[in-house]
Amino acid sequence: MELFREDGCLTDEGLQALVEGRLDELGRLEAAEHLSYCTKCLDRYTALLTGDKLVAPPRDLSRPLGRAVWVHLMTSVYGRVAVASVAAVLALSIWRSGSLTLILDRNASALETYVPEQIAPPASATVPQSDYETPPRPGQKAGVVQKAQQAVSGFLNGFAAQGGADTD
Amino acid sequence: MVREYQGLVYTVCYQLVQDADTAQDLAQEAFLAAWRAADRCPAGSEKQWLARIAANKAKDHLRSGWARKMSTPGDEVLALAGAPQDQGPEARALADLGQEALQQKILALREPYKTPCRLCLLEGYTPAEAARLCRRPEKTLNAQLWRAKKMLRAQIEQEREQERRTEDGTV
Repeated sequence: MELFREDGCLTDEGLQALVEGRLDELGRLEAAEHLSYCTKCLDRYTALLTGDKLVAPPRDLSRPLGRAVWVHLMTSVYGRVAVASVAAVLALSIWRSGSLTLILDRNASALETYVPEQIAPPASATVPQSDYETPPRPGQKAGVVQKAQQAVSGFLNGFAAQGGADTD
Repeated sequence: MVREYQGLVYTVCYQLVQDADTAQDLAQEAFLAAWRAADRCPAGSEKQWLARIAANKAKDHLRSGWARKMSTPGDEVLALAGAPQDQGPEARALADLGQEALQQKILALREPYKTPCRLCLLEGYTPAEAARLCRRPEKTLNAQLWRAKKMLRAQIEQEREQERRTEDGTV
């Protein structure tokens, strides 16, 4: 039996043999290669696959396909959204539980005790701890370091106060 | 779409690979590939489009199985990657033949091997040019050339074996 015509297309008997499962492995490979690019032969072949020639798969394909599609979506589009959502929820939980405030308070107090020791201002310019947020007294020249201290303390206190209000 | 065409896709896969489990897997892969490329589906030709995807999946499966069965290491790379063709035992076997004998053997090949071999081995076209002339994908043409060379080599070796036996018999 000739599987191919001289023009390179599948013969009618070749297609019939394929439908009836009479081709050997090489013949099936050659037919598959040809059907993958030849539109005419594919049309002739699919025209043969009607009615009782169609074989139902042993297991329904829609369910495993649904799972495969779901996995694909989870790993691509939805996966990224899910990761971002989990990160947001985690951040909110930490914020509302007060852990962040605690950490910030600890850092703020560490800064308050640290700064005067390391950067000792002149005795005339020394201000009490509680006066850090107050502006320099008239006639007193505020140094860059002091300005920075004030800015940081103000920011941290405001930040902690806001966090504390949220947790209440 | 899956419910409507699963019979068709499975049947194409099953008729080409002749194994129910493999056909089931390939049909599933075909639908998944179709879903990924759904925007390229020509309107009104879903049946042919899905059948082509299924045939492609079956072809890839059969080709890898065939390559595993027939090849020595590195052969499939030579066949599919457009590597130099003047290498390997097939090329040597063909080179040992005279031009006339080679021509006879190539023209006696059946389709789908005769035309690519004539173009590439006798008329000096590159596989890419031959693929264009034959209107086949280059990868398919390379695979067909590779198999054709294997067939020719097997023929030549068989003939030589017969000649040797005849000589031994006459002596």
